Amino acid sequence: MSAVLEIDDVSKRFRSGGLLSARTVEAVKNVSFTLEADRPEVFAIVGQSGSGKSTLANMILGSEMPSAGRIRVHGEDITDARSARQRIDFMRRVQPIFQNPFEAFNPLTRIDSYLFSTARRFRDATGAKAQEALADEALQLVGLTIEEVRGRYSHELSGGQLQRIAVARALIPQPDLIVADEPVSMVDASLRMSIVNLFKDLRDRLGVTIVYITHDLATAYYIADRLIIMKSGEIVEQGPAKAVLDDPQHPYSRALRDAILPPDPRRAHEIIAG
Amino acid sequence: MNTLTAYILRRLGQFVFVIFTGVTLAFLITNLSPVDPVEQSLTQLTSFGASDPRAVELMRESLAELYGLQGNLFEQYVNFWGRVLRADFGPSLSAFPTPVITLIANAAPWTIGLLVTSILITFVLGNLIGALAGYFRRSRFLKVLGMVIMTINPIPHYFIGLILLIFLGFVFPIFPISGGAQMNRPSGFDLGYVLSVLYHGFLPALSLVLAGLGGWFIGMRSLVSNVVTDDHVLYAELAGVKGRKIFSQYVARNAMLPQMTGLAMQLGQIFGGTVIVEFLFNYPGMGRLLIQGIYRGDYSLVLGVTTISIFAVAFAVLLIDILYPLIDPRVKLG
Repeated sequence: MSAVLEIDDVSKRFRSGGLLSARTVEAVKNVSFTLEADRPEVFAIVGQSGSGKSTLANMILGSEMPSAGRIRVHGEDITDARSARQRIDFMRRVQPIFQNPFEAFNPLTRIDSYLFSTARRFRDATGAKAQEALADEALQLVGLTIEEVRGRYSHELSGGQLQRIAVARALIPQPDLIVADEPVSMVDASLRMSIVNLFKDLRDRLGVTIVYITHDLATAYYIADRLIIMKSGEIVEQGPAKAVLDDPQHPYSRALRDAILPPDPRRAHEIIAG
Repeated sequence: MNTLTAYILRRLGQFVFVIFTGVTLAFLITNLSPVDPVEQSLTQLTSFGASDPRAVELMRESLAELYGLQGNLFEQYVNFWGRVLRADFGPSLSAFPTPVITLIANAAPWTIGLLVTSILITFVLGNLIGALAGYFRRSRFLKVLGMVIMTINPIPHYFIGLILLIFLGFVFPIFPISGGAQMNRPSGFDLGYVLSVLYHGFLPALSLVLAGLGGWFIGMRSLVSNVVTDDHVLYAELAGVKGRKIFSQYVARNAMLPQMTGLAMQLGQIFGGTVIVEFLFNYPGMGRLLIQGIYRGDYSLVLGVTTISIFAVAFAVLLIDILYPLIDPRVKLG
């Protein structure tokens, strides 16, 4: 019972195409890893598009069912948590953060009322005062205050602010696992660092375990304690982030690392020229 | 609310511009028509016997005044604006001397009643089915229903009307084939008359509804399937928000917004009438009036119907533009 998240030999197959041209795509193949509860960490899942990393994230969140294998959160199998009550219980422990901050909130609903209803739903906070206190507390953790979002709609805020609010929303239920799927890829480059540091901060100060999904090796190197590198649904390399990226063994990991241009323009040019 | 006032003022300016351009064009185009209403009336009036040339000349002058055709083009134009603002389009040529505005006032309630009812029914049904079909993409029933709607969609509304007319009017004479209400029944707000109006309006309305359903259906289905994949919908699903609430508050509400503009545009078209359907069912509305006007070269009647349509369309668009910021917070007023 000491594991926050256990992924046990999980596979996912999709059927695609019509009746005659039906084929199965194996998005995730026999993936296993375990995140321990007593050691909060940032665990990165690295891979390019189509590597199966987002499918894996969706399965952890329960929006897709694995075709084979088991996913356990605190020892409980989540694959059969379907009812609204079970969903709410699950979401108290596991919260998602999505890629596009502009899509994360209903554009017709005020952001503050979103936070209040999250407080009501997951923390059983009744009454405007209690809800507002919880929302403000979470917002302060991400460097905002309730005054900055009161009465605002999502189109009135910047992508960086919205992604911070999305993190704050994820923090209201006090989860011990956050699944962040490419959380900075659509945020301004100048604001990325602050959000990435925010995740580190959550791990250190609140002890939240973070599954950080990214295609960007540099970010993974910076933020992750451990990582797995996925290619075509399979784990090709895993281990402590620094060790793996300093000395990649699998040819794919090496190719990924070498695809990043060094900051020195002369060396970069040499690589491009081949 | 300073920005709101500025927005409404700017929008009003546009409204005035559209009306000005539309009415000017309508005036110029009808003016190009080879039909001279004064000569037409004179021919009608003098066809019964020879008249004194001086009396004819006097008659010509007073007719020109009635039709607003004295002086050169510019004087006529200025004169026309005065008449538009007084809602006086002169006497109808084909139903001389009944004023055009009386003819329009008699026909308008029929058209408005028929079209508002059928447009609203079509809008609600098409969007509801479309939204459900976009949300519950695996439902077999909705797939079949969608296919039926898509099959009917390309058939023109007058053809649907004709088929309904033949089957439910002649082969199985369930519904009346002509008119707006029972002929010999005095009009009034009693149950019998209202039922008679509904009974007579059923087939025209049904053909409009069947023909219009597809457009709303396809539009709403694709709008909804775009919204469904948004992260905020996924989050609500993950968080165990009830399906009915996700459908109404997250999905349908977001997808509805562009459809509202379409509805306003359609409502604005009402005043032109649905010419062919009214003609087909011999429905006493503005569409039939317009056709009669065109066939009989009734200059003032056509101009009257056109001008009123221009006002109606411009007004409907103005109204929805002013209301839009209330339903969509993203529409900035600044």
